[in-house]
Amino acid sequence: MSASGSTPVLTKPAGTATGPGGVGGGRVRRTLDRARTPLRGLAGLAGLVVLLEVLPHIGVVSADYLPPASEMGRALWQLLGEDAFWTALGDTLTGWGLGLAIAVVAGVVAGVVIGSAPVLRAVTASTIEFLRPIPSVALIPVAVLLYGTDLESKLLLVVYASFWQVLVQVLAGMQDVDPVAEDTARSYRMGSWGRVRYVLWPTALPYVMTGVRLAATVALVLTITAELVIGSPGLGNQLAVAQTSGAVPRVYALVLVTGLLGVAVNLVARAIERRALHWHQSMRREGQR
Amino acid sequence: MQRRVLGLAIAVVTVAAAAGCGSSSGTGGASSAAGDKTTQVKVGIIPIVDVAPLYLGQQKGFFSSRGIDLKMETAQGGAAIIPGVVSGQFQFGFSNVTSLMIAQTKGVPIKSVVNGTASTGDTGKDISGVAVKEDSPIKSAKELAGKTVAVNTLQNIGDTTVREVVRKDGGDPSKVKFVEMPFDQMPAALDGGQVDAAWVGEPALTIAKGQGARVVASPFAETDPNLTIATYFASTKLAQENPDLVKKFTEAVTESLNYASEHPDEARQIVTTYTKIDGEVLKKLTLPTWPAEYDMASLEKLASLGEQDGIFGGQKPDLDALFS
Repeated sequence: MSASGSTPVLTKPAGTATGPGGVGGGRVRRTLDRARTPLRGLAGLAGLVVLLEVLPHIGVVSADYLPPASEMGRALWQLLGEDAFWTALGDTLTGWGLGLAIAVVAGVVAGVVIGSAPVLRAVTASTIEFLRPIPSVALIPVAVLLYGTDLESKLLLVVYASFWQVLVQVLAGMQDVDPVAEDTARSYRMGSWGRVRYVLWPTALPYVMTGVRLAATVALVLTITAELVIGSPGLGNQLAVAQTSGAVPRVYALVLVTGLLGVAVNLVARAIERRALHWHQSMRREGQR
Repeated sequence: MQRRVLGLAIAVVTVAAAAGCGSSSGTGGASSAAGDKTTQVKVGIIPIVDVAPLYLGQQKGFFSSRGIDLKMETAQGGAAIIPGVVSGQFQFGFSNVTSLMIAQTKGVPIKSVVNGTASTGDTGKDISGVAVKEDSPIKSAKELAGKTVAVNTLQNIGDTTVREVVRKDGGDPSKVKFVEMPFDQMPAALDGGQVDAAWVGEPALTIAKGQGARVVASPFAETDPNLTIATYFASTKLAQENPDLVKKFTEAVTESLNYASEHPDEARQIVTTYTKIDGEVLKKLTLPTWPAEYDMASLEKLASLGEQDGIFGGQKPDLDALFS
């Protein structure tokens, strides 16, 4: 979770956004770079595949425990032809989507309420810091006690884990409001709704987006974990069955699927972030790079 | 790790049971419909060969003919099954008997209702075994003293029976060093030399043997040839409030166990519907036996082994209450 580098930071608007490289030659190079980045990413992936194929063949690891990439691919292909797999994928995505939605709405609402009242913020700060690091997985027995292996117990874990990601970001965003902008809004006699809409929300939005992006990944991890341990239907459960059955290539095929799902989730979250924050400095700079 | 999760689960259940919550919401769904109507019954199971009779019985209609709409809920182990049964999310659960005894001595309100699986009683061809690498110097159980042995759960049926075979063979059971890991990782750990021996269950045992592992002991069969290993259980609340459902379930499971015992090929076949065990492995693996009755003498043996090893925290399981 090294998202710190991409956390949007609001800097005061100045002419620096364009950067020094505004000359023609730089632009060509930048376009080339832009085309190269995904290529490089793919090259990394291809290298990994080759490594996975070679390692078992030269006997560094036994093919019984780490099957060569080709065998994983075959298992994956077989997996894609199974109805049960697509049902499981649907179950996982449902749990993820619902859990994330609940966490985001709850996180934003709670964040705005707590963040707008200094008293509330002071009262809840230590409680939040206490509850936040509790691993969601520790709640499994409680979840099963309350909801059995149904969707609800999966949601409990997912929402618990991703809620804090959003809440903490929203709280940080609320604190970041520029006092000058705030004073200006007050001087123009904006109502409280106007202040939320034109001052607070634009300031907090980049933080909210970061929170959502972090929460999206965490939610996916927890969805799969819940299925794996509790046994709620989904990819994690398929993984558990393959594991207890000793079907090694299938286990790796499912692991690949969850990895790809993670990449997809991150790409979608980034795309949404870019659209929602197209006006924001961090995005403008990123776009020009 | 698994033991800690199980411990936590038991703690949560105990607290909830003592506080009287968790049970209020439970019985609503399933047990209320007692008449001719079909009752949905959820059973918390682990997707392993042992529960094949349940799937077979479901297919043959042994449950539906008694008005039971059976629904299997697969979990990874007791950590998810026991709280589910106590809170009434599942009406029944599948567990090894040592775990049930541990739960009982901790005050968890559960009660075994019908037999599940038993050892084959055939030394060298049982459903679990202590495997070593092909070229290991270990030749018999007593040589496990001073060695590292993997078990799937510490302080449970695995290590107590392994200690027993070491003891019987003339070795010092207190010198065996146990480590915890899932069955499916044991063949690799043996091969890589992380452990000297591993107490492996099926299908991992057959997989390990296929890779050249040697079985030096069969703890279940050597502890007692008729060893009762796992049973189906319910909460004591369900047993008291809905004896009719428990009776019907018990009858249906008994019929399923008998059918599976008589038709082992069908039992082997049905395993493909709920596991992903490789066809070759499935052909070779050892099926447990499925007697309809518990073997009380073997349960007493297991309880005394557990007491000897101190896994009940100084308490004594009440077998008559648990398995009556």
